[in-house]
Amino acid sequence: MADDLAGIKRPQRWDVPFWSETSEAEASLAAPDVDRLLRLPAFEKMDAARFPAHAPLRDILLNDGRVRRYRAGEIIVRQGDYGNSAFIIIRGAARVVLHPATGNRESGGTSRPGFLPALLRWWRNPSLPEVRQFTARSPGANVETAHVGGPAIFVQDMDLIVKDQRTALLGAGELFGEIAALSRTARVTTVYAGEESELLEIRWQGLREIRQHAPEFKQHLDRKYRENSLNSHLRETRMFRHLDDATLARVASATEFLTFGDFEWYAAFSKTKESSGQERLQKEPVVAREGNYPNGVYLIRSGFARLSETYNHGDRTVSYLGRGQIYGFEEIATNWRDQTDRPFQRTLRALGYVDVLFVPTAVLEALVLPTLPAEEFPRAAARPNGPAWARGADQRGLPPEMLEFLVDRRFINGTAAMIIDMDRCTRCDDCVRACAATHNNNPRFLRHGPIQDGFMIANACLHCQDPVCMIGCPTGAIHRESVHGQVVINDRTCIGCSTCANSCPYDNIQMVTARNPEGRPFLDAATHQPIQKAAKCDLCANQPTGPACAHACPHDALVRADMQDVDRLADFLHHR
Amino acid sequence: MTFTSRRNLAGLTCAAAAGLALLADFALRLRLRRADLVSGGALLAVVFLLTLFNARKKLPFLPLWRAATWMQFHIYAGLFSGVLFGLHSGWRWPQGGFTSLLAALFLAVFGSGVAGLILTRWLPARLTEHGENVIFERIPALRAAVRREVEALVLESIPRLQSSTLADFYEQKLLPYFTQTRFLWFQVAGIHRPTQRLLADAHALDRYLNPEERSLLARILEHIQARENLDYQQARQGLLKAWLFVHIPLTFALILFACVHAFLAWRLS
Repeated sequence: MADDLAGIKRPQRWDVPFWSETSEAEASLAAPDVDRLLRLPAFEKMDAARFPAHAPLRDILLNDGRVRRYRAGEIIVRQGDYGNSAFIIIRGAARVVLHPATGNRESGGTSRPGFLPALLRWWRNPSLPEVRQFTARSPGANVETAHVGGPAIFVQDMDLIVKDQRTALLGAGELFGEIAALSRTARVTTVYAGEESELLEIRWQGLREIRQHAPEFKQHLDRKYRENSLNSHLRETRMFRHLDDATLARVASATEFLTFGDFEWYAAFSKTKESSGQERLQKEPVVAREGNYPNGVYLIRSGFARLSETYNHGDRTVSYLGRGQIYGFEEIATNWRDQTDRPFQRTLRALGYVDVLFVPTAVLEALVLPTLPAEEFPRAAARPNGPAWARGADQRGLPPEMLEFLVDRRFINGTAAMIIDMDRCTRCDDCVRACAATHNNNPRFLRHGPIQDGFMIANACLHCQDPVCMIGCPTGAIHRESVHGQVVINDRTCIGCSTCANSCPYDNIQMVTARNPEGRPFLDAATHQPIQKAAKCDLCANQPTGPACAHACPHDALVRADMQDVDRLADFLHHR
Repeated sequence: MTFTSRRNLAGLTCAAAAGLALLADFALRLRLRRADLVSGGALLAVVFLLTLFNARKKLPFLPLWRAATWMQFHIYAGLFSGVLFGLHSGWRWPQGGFTSLLAALFLAVFGSGVAGLILTRWLPARLTEHGENVIFERIPALRAAVRREVEALVLESIPRLQSSTLADFYEQKLLPYFTQTRFLWFQVAGIHRPTQRLLADAHALDRYLNPEERSLLARILEHIQARENLDYQQARQGLLKAWLFVHIPLTFALILFACVHAFLAWRLS
């Protein structure tokens, strides 16, 4: 029977080396010369014997690395893009744009395909589900390939464009881009080639393994991570903008890095999904408690935090904080200005996990508040007058019950959550059909999910701000699209291990059986088990319309909402 | 823009267009021009435009404005077509057999469209507030599962409880309830009597039950409630889909007949 089915070799981690994910012309040059790389300062002192047999250092560099060449002025990474790799300069130099930061606009962007390509793609849709066209006995040889990294962008007179901005020069041997790669966040700076340069680009999976098995590299990365992340974060924070470099450095030296909760929070979250709101709240680590002395401000660096206030015998959620938001500043600033001693007005709890920067009150009082412009002082630090139940809604415009629902179920992690107004939705399934039409006849979401106040959060990928599904992927198949940050799966490099599907706290990734054009499942030639691929919503990253589901809804019932854009979210919830 | 303000704006625009059409028709008639040809041509054009919405829905990947924009156009242009039809027919029922058929077709399409509009605005909120929202295509499977679960509960209880009260109730009342589909029509009409009668019968059993059986009956009642919700969802969701099976085929018939009518009018004028 197995002979009737399409037998292929089960995909493995390094079937598609990183260097092969460049254009054909570049691929031959991108394959790394491992012996040469091992002589680089970053690797020459590493003890190769520390690496496990399944992931030796040589293989990591060979398969998770690629060599890229840049002309002077060519952009290597752009601020705001999402990075899945870090860079080590082999030869030449790179220039980092420090301050004020450059946006994406001057450094190019991507465009969506036009009318005809979309029509052609639809015309070629197979009639059967989950059809793949593996052309050889290797599942890596898919017809449609994705070039991770994309074409380089050359900007004429880059030096002239950034002449008013502070830049720093990085020389041979230096590493950059590791923060975005390891923390699944956007690049915080733009880096371009200062001269003709040759760089080693390492996929974050490889970087993670080197960090794990080479202690000296880990120390180096952690030190750099601390320095770079801290400086860039403080510079982005409103209350520190007026400070000169020397004062900011003093603030930085007094700043503490704190982490609350578990980085891999999704496992614990899955177990507590059915618990009551109060039970869940009790398990969330407290960062700072209402009524305590305000000992400093907390700047959210990554992750999420719940802001709650005491309400009779329980706690009532009043807001949620994400990256870049601040807790405690109002109390400290008004206490200093008005000579009062108000305690913290609300409790801050880690939702899953949260990384914070803690700046002590004494530092703020000595270095920040005396020179803070008057307009930067908060208007009031006290809780709004009247009991919480009488206010009806939180300060950000979401109904209280909806807020509790979004926070308890961690939907606040979403940057493109599918919200359906069930009072308008006629269950016509035009959204599902549109999704199928744009994904080879395979709908990539389920119009089903929890409902609150008549709004459903459907089982569609949320494109999380903190995509925990990416953490365990051994090949980097699930990654962020570089420009807009959608979480997408490279079908070519997915080995069907299900790690991402098991990690997704919202059950929004499905494992599907790959089939040939006749509809027969591909089987592993050795074990005769079906070849599986992870599948999920890609937010129609390659469609001219944007998300086809929202575009196809005739009743304005469906939106893809960024949970951090609370104003827009509130608009949608109140628009009936 | 809120839905209310959008509705007001579109309604005003539609009313203004209708007013202009009335004025133009009046002016043409004053000048002894063939106003019926103008209104007929405009009506045919609007009907074609309205039909394009269905084609647009088949091509969701093309950047041809959002479906919601098309829907708004469809609603208000559809209402406007009623005014054009009135002008074209002179607000009288036509005399010929063919034109009567054409008029009947138009009114059926127009009426089914208005009925669909009312249903799509009225039913969704009722579906949302009535029990668990389920996907239409999964309802038969879920209904079968409910029946299987109740059957298993009852069968398992017979040897254990040494009592046939619940088994008799299952055989005489529950099984017909679970196997009948005619109750869907009651749901369409908003009548819940079959379920209410069944629940009353179930509660009447109380005097014959011991505590263990009562707890089993409570679980069976939950299943009846689930089944009732499935029937409700299927009936109402079915209604939301069924009206299109009237509206769309009639539209194609209307277009065909209207084209013949236009050709004849052109040849004879």
